[in-house]
Parts: sequence; C-alpha cells; structure tokens
Amino acid sequence: MLSENAVKEIGLIRNKYHDAQSSLLPALYVVQKEHGWLSPEALKEVGEILNVPKAEVKGVSTFYAMFRHRPIGRHLIQLCTNVACMIMGSESLLNILKERYGLEPNGTTGDGRFSLVVMECIGACGTAPAMLVDTDFHDNLTEERIVNILEKYK
Amino acid sequence: MITVTINRKKIELEKPVTILKAAGMAGIEIPTLCNHEMLEAYGGCRLCLVEIEKMPRLQTSCTQYVTDGMVVWTETERVVEARKAMLEFLLINHALDCPYCDKAGECDLQDMVAKYGPTTGRFAEGKRRHPESFEDPIIVRNMERCISCTRCVRMCSKVQGAYAISMVNRSNKTFVEPFSGGKYDCEYCGNCLTVCPVGAIMSRMHRHAYRPWLIEKEVDTVCSFCGVGCSMVLQVRGNSIVRAVPKKGAGSNKGLLCNRGRFGYDYVGSSGRLDSPMIKRDGKFQRASWSEAFTFIADRLKKIKDENGGSSIAGIASGRCTNEDGYVFQKFMRAVLGSNNIDSVASFGYAQAQRFFEGIFGQGVTANSMRGIPNSDGVFVVGGDPTAVNPVLGLQIRAASGKGVPVVAAGYMPGLMIFATSRLIPRPFTETALLSALVTELRDIKGISGKGPFDILINDIPSVSLGEAEEVCGIPSEDMRSAVDALSRMTNPSIVIGRDILQQPEGQACLLLLAALISLLNSRIYLLSELPNEQGLVDMGCLPDMLPGGRHLSVESFRRRYEEFFGVDIPSNPGMGIMEMIEAAHDKRIKALHVMGEDLVYNMPDSAYVKAALSKLDFLVVHDIFMTETAQLADVVIPSLSWAEKEGSYTNLERKMQLVRKAVEGKGMEEWRAVSEISKLLGFDMDYKSSVDIMTEIANVSPLHKDIAYADMAGGECMWPYKGEPLRHGMSLEGIEMPDKGSLLKKPEKDRIYIGIDKPLFHFENLSRNSAALSSIAPEPYMNVGKALADSLSLAGGDSVSVSTGTGSLKLSVQVDPDVPENSIMVPDNFGDKGAYTIMKWKMNSAIKAPVADATGVTIKKIKRAAEEVAV
Repeated sequence: MLSENAVKEIGLIRNKYHDAQSSLLPALYVVQKEHGWLSPEALKEVGEILNVPKAEVKGVSTFYAMFRHRPIGRHLIQLCTNVACMIMGSESLLNILKERYGLEPNGTTGDGRFSLVVMECIGACGTAPAMLVDTDFHDNLTEERIVNILEKYK
Repeated sequence: MITVTINRKKIELEKPVTILKAAGMAGIEIPTLCNHEMLEAYGGCRLCLVEIEKMPRLQTSCTQYVTDGMVVWTETERVVEARKAMLEFLLINHALDCPYCDKAGECDLQDMVAKYGPTTGRFAEGKRRHPESFEDPIIVRNMERCISCTRCVRMCSKVQGAYAISMVNRSNKTFVEPFSGGKYDCEYCGNCLTVCPVGAIMSRMHRHAYRPWLIEKEVDTVCSFCGVGCSMVLQVRGNSIVRAVPKKGAGSNKGLLCNRGRFGYDYVGSSGRLDSPMIKRDGKFQRASWSEAFTFIADRLKKIKDENGGSSIAGIASGRCTNEDGYVFQKFMRAVLGSNNIDSVASFGYAQAQRFFEGIFGQGVTANSMRGIPNSDGVFVVGGDPTAVNPVLGLQIRAASGKGVPVVAAGYMPGLMIFATSRLIPRPFTETALLSALVTELRDIKGISGKGPFDILINDIPSVSLGEAEEVCGIPSEDMRSAVDALSRMTNPSIVIGRDILQQPEGQACLLLLAALISLLNSRIYLLSELPNEQGLVDMGCLPDMLPGGRHLSVESFRRRYEEFFGVDIPSNPGMGIMEMIEAAHDKRIKALHVMGEDLVYNMPDSAYVKAALSKLDFLVVHDIFMTETAQLADVVIPSLSWAEKEGSYTNLERKMQLVRKAVEGKGMEEWRAVSEISKLLGFDMDYKSSVDIMTEIANVSPLHKDIAYADMAGGECMWPYKGEPLRHGMSLEGIEMPDKGSLLKKPEKDRIYIGIDKPLFHFENLSRNSAALSSIAPEPYMNVGKALADSLSLAGGDSVSVSTGTGSLKLSVQVDPDVPENSIMVPDNFGDKGAYTIMKWKMNSAIKAPVADATGVTIKKIKRAAEEVAV
C-alpha cells in the first residue's frame, strides 16, 4: 500500500502533465523513493491512481534500468567497474565488499543493509574509482576509504 | 493526382498513401512482419525496406508516404541484402523449433526466411532462454519465438482496448507479458493470436492437435454466440472443428472475434450431445427411432388439439435457431396447430424494445450498421455492457472513444469504464430519474418544434431537475450536467440500448424517455442482442401477434396474404407471450408446449416456477442439442443440430442476413426438418428438401424478404433485405402511458440490497457450460459488489457468501468492483442451478409484455473468507 503522502504527491504530479502516460515516470520515482523498489502491487496501484493500464505501467517500468523490481537493502551501492575505475582498483573494492559484508554484485546483505549493483561508468573517471551510495557520490576510493564511508550508512 | 513509379509500374493515386499500400494496389508484394491491416503502421521489423531514388537510405515502406514523382524499387540487390540481414538479426534469438511449433506452415517468419533469409546465422553467443508459459488456461506463451513486432500489444491496447499485455524489459531481453507474468486475466478475445506472425502466442485449445496443412476444409460461416454475427471460418479435420478463426476483412467484425466466438465452439464436439430421439415412458427416457418419435408427437398433439383446441398448445422458439427454423416453426404453430401462441426469450427485451421504437419511428429504425458507431460524433450507452453482451459491437464504442468521440455510459458497464467520458451509475432501478433529467435538460437546450405527435408527447414528459434526479439516482448534478453538455453538442450520435433497461419496474417509462432522447438528439439506435438470431425470430413471425415480415396479425389484409399462401385459416387473435404461456401452463390453461431449442428452466427468470409450470403440462416436446434441464422435463426430446452442423441464415442486430454453413456432421436433425416431419403426420404437407426451399418460400411471402436468396447473403453485406415493399409506419402512439413524476422519481428502498443480472463476457446463456474452454476461463458463479457495500458487510474479493431471496439461495464467490451501483450486487445467470435466475422473482409488465425484476432484496451471509479457502 502506498502512503497517503505518496498518493497525494502522485496526484500533484498527474496535474502537471497533459496525459496520464507522461506522469508515469515521475510517479514511479515517488513509489521507489518510498518503498525502495517497485512491487507488482505498487505498479498496480500507480496504474489505478493515474488511470494507466497496469500492463503498460509494467512495460514502462521494466524498460528503464533505474527502476528496481526486486526488494533491495536499505542502502544501494552502485560501484563503477568500467575501464578507468578498473585500472584504479575497483576489483579490489569488490573483493572488500565481498569479504567484509558478503556482498556480491546484484546481491543484498543478509541484514538488508546494503545492496550492490555494478555500474558502467558514472562519469567520474578523473577521480576513479567511484561509487554512488543511494544518491551520494564518493570518489577516490581506496580499500580503507570505502569501509569508512560505508560505516556511516546503517 | 500523385504519380508514383514502383518497379517500373506507374501508379496514379488520388490521395497520398504509404508506399506499402500503393504497392499493394498495384499488386506488388512487399514483405512485412510488424505491419498488419488491422493495426496502425509501426515501422519496427524493417523488412519492408525499399529503395527510393534520390533518397540515400532505404526506407520502411509501411510508414513512408508516396509523393508525386517518387520512384521506388522493392526488390533490388540492396533491398534483398538488407532484408536478409534483418532476418538474420531476428533469428538471433528465435528458437527455430519449427518442426515442433504449431505455427509452422502458416508462419510469416518461416515463409520470409525461406524466401529471403540466410541459411546460417553468424551469431555464436547462444540464444536467450525463456521457458514456455502454461500458466494460462487458454493461451500458451513462447517468448523464445517472439520477434518483438508488438503486433499483439498494439492489437490488445489500440483495437481490443483490453490493455492486458505489454512489452517488458529492454533490447534483447524484451518480451511480451501480461501484468501477472503468467495468467492473462484478460478478455481472452484471442485477437493477439490472429496477429502474431510467429508461434509466440498460441491457443492451448488445439496445441499439437493438427498442422495447418492437415486442415481438410474451411467453412465460411457466422458466429452463433451473440447478435453481432461475426464472420468466421471453421477449420475442419475429419468430422471435428479444429479451430475457429476470423475471416480477414469480412463481415461487420472485419477480422475481430471475441472469446466466445473463438474458443467456445468446442461444445459442438462435446460428449454430452444428444444423439437419438428420446421418449419418456413411465418417467424414464428411452431411445426411440425418428419415425417413432414423430408419430408419438403428432398423435399427442392431435389429441390435445382435438380435445382442447389449438389455443391450448403453445410454442417457444429460440434465438439460436435459424430463420428457416423460425419460419417453419411459426407456420407449424399457426397453420397446422391453429395457435398464435408462439414467442421466444427475445421478448424479454430485444423484441419489446424494437417494437416500441418501431411503433414511434417506423419499421427498421434499429437497422443500423455497427460500423456507424465510430463514425458518429457521440455515443450514449444504457441498459447493459455492450463489451460483454455484444463484444465486437462494444469494440466499435471503444474505437469511437479512441477517436476522441464522447461516450456517455449510463449504468454498470465495466468494459466501457475507462473509455467513457461521462460515467453515470444510478442507484438500482432509478434510471428513470437520470433519463428524465437528461430529457428535461435537452428538451430545453434543443427545443422542439412541437408539431409532430411525438413532439407533443415529449413535451408532456414531466420536468425533472438535475437536483431532483440527483436525490433519487445518487449521481452528482455536475456529472449529469457535463453529460448533458456532451449530449447537446452531438449532431449524429449513436444510442446503444441493452435489455436491462426494460427489465425493471418502470421499464416502459425508460423506453419512452429513451425514445424522447433519440428524437431530441436525432440519433441512430442500436439494440444489444444476446442471441445470434433474435432479429430473425422477430422477422420470421415467432411472436404472438406478428406474421413473418414484421406484419401485425390483426391487419386483415396481411393475415389473408398468409392464409392464402398457407392454404388454411390462421386464428386472428394474438396468442400468448412467453411469460403468459408459463403462467398458463401453471394454471393448466395450456396443455402442450413445443419448445424449439430453448432451455426455459435456466434461461427464464424464476427457475422453480418455470419448472413447476412445465411439470404441469400434459405434453412437452423439446428440440435441443443437449439434455438440458428443460429437456429432462419433456415427454419427447428431439436431438437438434448445432449451428456448425446445419445450413441456414441468421439475421443480426444490424439486420444483416448472413449464411450459417455446415462444417461438420451432427447426429441430430434440423429443427425445421423435424417440425416438417411432424407436420406431415398431422396432415399438412411441408415438403422442404433443404433450407433453400424455405428461404425461397420466405422470399415469396414476406414483404420484408422479397426476392431474397442465399446468393445475396453470401457476400456478407445483405443488410435490410427490403425491396420496395411498403414498411410499417411509425407514429402509432396508442397505448403509450405517460409516467407521472412520482413514478419517475421513485427512490430505492433504504437498507435493501438489490440483485441485478451480470452479463459475463465469458458465457453465453446456459449453453457455454458445455464449452470446456469457456468454463476454464470462468469456472464458477460469482457476485460483483461495490466497495461500500463490501466494506459494510466486511467482504473481500475471494470470500464465499450465501445470497438468499425468498425463493432460494446461492453460494457465490465475491468480486469487488467499485463500479457496481450502490446497494446492489450483480450475479450472472449462466451457471444453471447456480445462476441468478434461480433465485429471482419476476413479474409481468403488462404495458411492454416483458418480465420485470420484482425488486425485492437479498440477504448476504459470509460463509468463508478468502484466506480460509486457500488454507483448505
């Protein structure tokens, strides 16, 4: 069930656009912000609020990689392993995550604290390796630094 | 004038069309996969690439319009090479399991690869895996075969309007899926099957049962599941129907079908079919020979006629039978038995509404082409959900809505809810309040000349303000106001009327108000028709007071015409209607009833009463294809032929006469043939060799069918067979009662829960119980209930409840639907002894001679919660 706030926010978003389809992406963001992912029930609910057929909601939401269709941990780590980051040691960072938190790419820690997604370049090649934790950006990562940073996310 | 040259061929065009269309006109074939004549151009598969001079790149001919002077080449080396490359791409993730795939032999991709495609692919990385989905009872999805042409998705959303499937995920992981990922839970129209160019979406009904090249015969016929009469092709192998498919571009449906038509045919081959005449002796049915059965019937009918007169015998026809059956049956009743007691369940709504509107506006006023709906500038729907009763007609309304035409939906119609611009859902039985408010407003806006007799009548309709109506029907005034605004702007609207509007205490007032609306808006009328040949029954004179051709029995000149033709006198007094017959049987005023293909017990309201009435008869004959509950009460049962086993004609709700053709052999006998045999034994020679003879006779005697022949119908456009003979005039306003304001503004009783009939998309009368396919989609009876009532009774979807009236009770599962009118439940009448008719009381409305719901309430008790059911 979406919270009253989310329903209200989606209603406001709907009014900004001429047709319901256009308001779908921002509405899905609202839900993802609240739940962390888009459950089938949530997709259905969004469809009902916006009067967009639920199958279409599913089609749109699965098209975009930034929408998640499985539950994730409280914090999402998006670690870049593209060329620059790889050269600067992102491999060893992956190892640290695995050793310390038991975290594999596309996996979630047993306590539901972190989920890990391996990214293809987040535009920080000059200060590689880099990652995003939720919406926070961290660069110049080292084995030590990444642990310190992650300890701040509970 | 546009001149375009395609492959050296000069083509002149009035209007710009796509290159693909222009090429088609010139007989030049361009291969396509994503393009389909029922869908808008998409430009996705890139197979229709062509070379256009002065354009550097190849263009998709399905989206590129021709311009004057354009020179196009469709089969150059460059084009062929490009097509080959496209096919190589498509095959990267295609299963290539043709030897095993049912589509092989009629697969567009297979054909195209055979023609253009590479013999080997260069992609070495392995194909994506996607297990075939069997989670649905009807549709099998194999996404390893899908080529992402999106035809199915476009069909489902843009044409069918069901929005059940979509393309999910991206790039090479894209595939088609319903929301659930497994079961479709859709309208099961199967139109996605029609458009799928490969074997990705297939029917489960005939999986691995045949190959396209093993089909021995294809029979053009029309569907028998509702009054639309969609053109379809029955594919036959041996003596069984393999598949029902639409006929490309033919009929009113133009390639569309609904779930009933596409999947419901399987009852024809059901093991429960009657295969021999049965005579009941000492309370037990015994097999009998045809002649034995006919002699038995003739003797008994003769005795009853001699002792009690022809008027003690009554006949009930069925809208499932053909025009020929109907004609012969009424002739048998009138000329042989001397009784005008002939009627059918068409008189529950269709025939009565038509009679009312024709009385005012003239004969043929409801004969309008369905295709006119999307071309009108507004649609008003009332009295039932067209998308369930007449699904393909419903699609015309959805198409209108898709074009931006305002659709005003008055009443519970779930299939139109997202398509309606105005949704007006009155409380149970308060349609009069809504309609009279609309009439009052529109009368003021439009103004009427006041000259014609009907104008005077419209003027006399009591004024009802929006506020007064709101108080009664519960629809906010502003909603009605916006509906009035929409209606008042329409200049050539369509009004679609279902039978529910009659089946209520103020049914006649509703008809009058609708007639006023029709007149004020100058609109075309469409009457929803639940049976394939309801119109035919009316035309063939299967009515107590009408002769074939829609002529009143009481008009002596017409009666004389038939009497001369038949060579005997016809009683001049109108006979009993179907409800009167049942009452008369109950009172023992009629002694014998001859039923042609109708399951009265379950297709008429109040099953217990009907059963009791039938049991009191001295003699009951039933022609049917199954041993129905009505047949079980009979003294003689004659096995009939289903629609797929006989020749004949149906007249659809547009009054288009269409041919029904024999696809397979059945073990029964056509109703007309059986009736003629009985007639011969009674001394009246009906010497029909085939249904053609009967149609020839109809064409000779019925003013409406003058000179009509099967050859005229074969083209599929034989609408309104009328060749200059005078039609009945309208403007007979006699007998129309002007309702007073009090009756228009009758409020529903407080705290009463009303029961209404739901017309499910997946069932057809009580016949569809014999279709395994339809039963697998909707296996059990249910009750639709609104959110507020569900909450107040603390019910949730999936709960089981017992619904009781004074007459009986039903165990039903709950479905919550916010659109169900306040304080009411909707229950289907299609599940035999679990249908709504078994517990509803009805009474006769003397003005319109139709049964009306006796608006008594029901009590609802929860038996089991949904969760407990799962635990069990």
